[in-house]
Amino acid sequence: MSLAFLVPLFLLGAAAVVVPIAVHLTRRQRRNVVHFPSLMFLQRIPYQEQRRRRVQHWFLLSLRALALMLVVAAFSRPFLDRSDIGATGGGGPREVVVLVDQSYSMEIGDQLDRARTEAQRVFDGLGPLDRASLVTFARGANVVARSTSDRTRLRGALDTLAVSSGATRYGPALKVAQTILEESTLPSGEVYLLSDFQRNGWTGDEGVRLPPGSRVIPIALSEPVAVDNVMVTDVSLPRQIVAGRERITPTARVVRRGGDAARDVMVSLDLDGQEIQTRSVTLDPNSAGVVSFQPFTLSQPHTTGTVRLPDDAISADNTHHFVLSPGTSLGVLVAEGTRSADDVSLYLRGALQISEDGRFDVRGRRSNTIRPVDLDGAQTVFLNDVQIDGGSAERIRTFVEAGGGVLIALGENGGWPDSAADMLPGTIGPVEDRIQGRGGRLGYLDYEHPIFEVFAGPRSGDFTGARFYRARRLEPSDAATVLARFDDGSVALAELRIGRGRVLVWTTSMDAFWNDLALQPVYLPFVHRLAEYLGGRAEPVPWFVTGQVVDLADPDALEMAGLVSSVAAGLAEGLDQIALTPAGSSTRLPAGDGPRYLPLEEHGFYTVRPPGSEPDRPFVMAVNVDLEESDLVRIDADELALQVEAPSAVENGAPQLGQAFELRREDQERRQSLWRWLLLAALALFVLETALSNWVSRQGSGAVGATAG
Amino acid sequence: MSSLRPRHAAAGAQFLDPAVLGRIGNLELLARTVVDGFLTGLHRSPYLGFSMDFAEHRPYNPGDDIRRIDWKLFGRTDRHYIKLFEADTNANFSVLLDLSASMSYGSHSLTKLDYARYLAACLTYFSNKQRDRVGLVTFDHEIVDYVPPSMKHLDTILHTLDRAEAGRPGSLEEPILKITEMLGRKGILVVISDFYEEPEQVIRALGPLRARGHDVIVFHVMDPYELEFPFEEASGFEDLETGEQIPVIPKKLQGDYLEMMTAHLASLAKKFADNRIDYALLDTSKPLDEALFAYLLAREKKSKTR
Repeated sequence: MSLAFLVPLFLLGAAAVVVPIAVHLTRRQRRNVVHFPSLMFLQRIPYQEQRRRRVQHWFLLSLRALALMLVVAAFSRPFLDRSDIGATGGGGPREVVVLVDQSYSMEIGDQLDRARTEAQRVFDGLGPLDRASLVTFARGANVVARSTSDRTRLRGALDTLAVSSGATRYGPALKVAQTILEESTLPSGEVYLLSDFQRNGWTGDEGVRLPPGSRVIPIALSEPVAVDNVMVTDVSLPRQIVAGRERITPTARVVRRGGDAARDVMVSLDLDGQEIQTRSVTLDPNSAGVVSFQPFTLSQPHTTGTVRLPDDAISADNTHHFVLSPGTSLGVLVAEGTRSADDVSLYLRGALQISEDGRFDVRGRRSNTIRPVDLDGAQTVFLNDVQIDGGSAERIRTFVEAGGGVLIALGENGGWPDSAADMLPGTIGPVEDRIQGRGGRLGYLDYEHPIFEVFAGPRSGDFTGARFYRARRLEPSDAATVLARFDDGSVALAELRIGRGRVLVWTTSMDAFWNDLALQPVYLPFVHRLAEYLGGRAEPVPWFVTGQVVDLADPDALEMAGLVSSVAAGLAEGLDQIALTPAGSSTRLPAGDGPRYLPLEEHGFYTVRPPGSEPDRPFVMAVNVDLEESDLVRIDADELALQVEAPSAVENGAPQLGQAFELRREDQERRQSLWRWLLLAALALFVLETALSNWVSRQGSGAVGATAG
Repeated sequence: MSSLRPRHAAAGAQFLDPAVLGRIGNLELLARTVVDGFLTGLHRSPYLGFSMDFAEHRPYNPGDDIRRIDWKLFGRTDRHYIKLFEADTNANFSVLLDLSASMSYGSHSLTKLDYARYLAACLTYFSNKQRDRVGLVTFDHEIVDYVPPSMKHLDTILHTLDRAEAGRPGSLEEPILKITEMLGRKGILVVISDFYEEPEQVIRALGPLRARGHDVIVFHVMDPYELEFPFEEASGFEDLETGEQIPVIPKKLQGDYLEMMTAHLASLAKKFADNRIDYALLDTSKPLDEALFAYLLAREKKSKTR
């Protein structure tokens, strides 16, 4: 290690040290020039010259000279050159990064053992001044050992290698290698990429570029032979209500890749850890089949299920996990005004009661008052042609702020108390008739909105057939969102979010009084979507894929993850949570204001429960592997290497090593940045010198040429 | 001859502040203002002419000076006639003005050159008014402008004075030697300079003028700062003529400087007196009229001694 300068030419500036000396010895008094007719007499007074030509304050002069030297040194960009340490080895010391693929496809054959062997061979070949890092990767990258020359540590790191549940992604691993090489002070870098090189792991736009002087050495661990692999790609879980109970009829889709002859594959179904059914399916090479199981009754929340195949080349894709809970019906209150027609909610009630799985629990109330008991158990309230009082409006406000949803359908008698006008998405105006011609139509629907998104596709519901003859005018407020408009631009449906809930205003009747929408086929799914959206019902996800992350502090996310809504909020607001991974390890998720993310990295079942509790039916999330990894098509490893290596090193090879070495020097200098400290020191010296100089000047103001240096 | 200190002759005169004069742009107006005002305050005839030319005769009136009766004409005509004389130019009056760079110094609103210019204008106007032939020579280390003496050259002289500028190094000996050769007829020569030369050199330069029979009157124009050296702050002093610069702490040097300046002035005064040259030291902060007094007293003395 020696002190070197990146721009040594600047050292010539050291000659500037003579400047302060010369200035002192030759300078004239320049502080204030007085023009005088003649120096005839002044020149005869003989004491100036001697004092001026003698250095009077060596300390000040030294400070100035030292400050100048520091400035010169800073401009020369000094750094401690560590590259000479490895000058004894051929080609200089190396920074070696070993990237080992841990994706689940690595379980084929003995690929992981080969990876361990190859990595060990690389570590054994390290020189005394080389450093090495071990990085494992699948979807993400994990630095197991970073830039060390400790062989024992590296060997120990190799022992931790294990196959994960993730799919291959080369980008994160190569970016980690890029960072390690960029931070290294060694002159050359080598990246050993140990993988089965699946094409799906590389898109080409990862933006990885290794520093100049580095090269990628791919080591393929798999043999290019066909692998006979059968996997479960999907499981459908349709529900039916039979005798008031939910029945699930699982259907699994099985795909076979590779193989050379048709064979029977046994497919089994496990529920809560017990195998309950087994089916056989005959699969040709590179074909797919569907296996339907007998229906089973779903009675318990968080019921775990697994569709399982016999072991083959890749075991991770032989299982497909899911979690089911009995659907809870959505409580819907339909309130009618006392002056409304008797059949004002005829179609609305009918639509809500027609469902295969009994998803709506509809209650009715014919009163202008909404009592607290009416809202118990309700998630959605339809105020159909009713003018409620102020107290009821406040109760509705509380209900909405807690997460409930209200639809106000304006009709002949519909309205809203002025005292709670801020709950509306606009100002309700007078009745407008649209009886000319064939009435109005819906001219605009927000198909991005959850209510209408199911109608966005072709033949997914036609609202244009409905005729609207009368509606109330609504002037939407700034905070409101208009979801539907009539063809004349007036508002048909508007939304306002309040707290965790929402209020919708439908400016015409919900039944066939002012329009004939209730007679259209689209009416039923529209009412269903309205009720579900207002009630905040989210379709639970039976399973996740490895790599996804769940926020356990978000009740909506938990509900989406299959947690029954009655406990979702409680778990989200709980103090602490503990997540048990499929492998059995536990992760503590302390309570806090922020999110509590749980990365799902293993396939199987994750169990989440409060610490110290043993619930009978804990919250479980099913996680399956990313099936992209089962596609074993390979990428050309050399092509991948070419894409990430620096162009100059690739094109010019050895002649660029010198340039790379220079770049290394620049890197060293840039990282050390000694020049900043030198400049700071110079500045401090200048300040000190100025202060001292002023002090000396004041002290010796009686002397001619008192300032020294 | 002896040196004259103008302040002793200034009693009773109404003086004009040089700074006020500086605001008068026209030199002729300035000269007239100074001279006429000065004469009014003097209450005595400035016409000290030495020769009168015959103009005409007029009959004698009782009360006329009988010495002016033309007795020859009485002899021929038996009547008394008085001889009337026409005033004639009785002297050549020339101003020798130093334009060396040191003359451009001024610690207040008026530089030495301004003061010298006013002085030259006043003296020229004054002399012209008493019918002297007036001339002007400006010089630094060589002759810059030469206006030969004439009754009609007042305007030319004033114009020349008006555009005179100091800027070059100066010396006395060489230009004055040339002036001596140019001025053939004896006359009155007024030399206005700051005399930053050794007294011996000054006398060596002016000696030939005196030797040619000219009446030489020297006005030594000095700024009060040159005479008192009241500087306080340590500064670099730059010679206006050579550009040389030296660091000076005035408080340390003031004593020595004043001592040397006093010795210089005394030496000059003595040497001028020895050579019968009238010498007046003028402070540019003092009124201009004082210089006129000095001049008049010198002239008066000359006339008496003739």
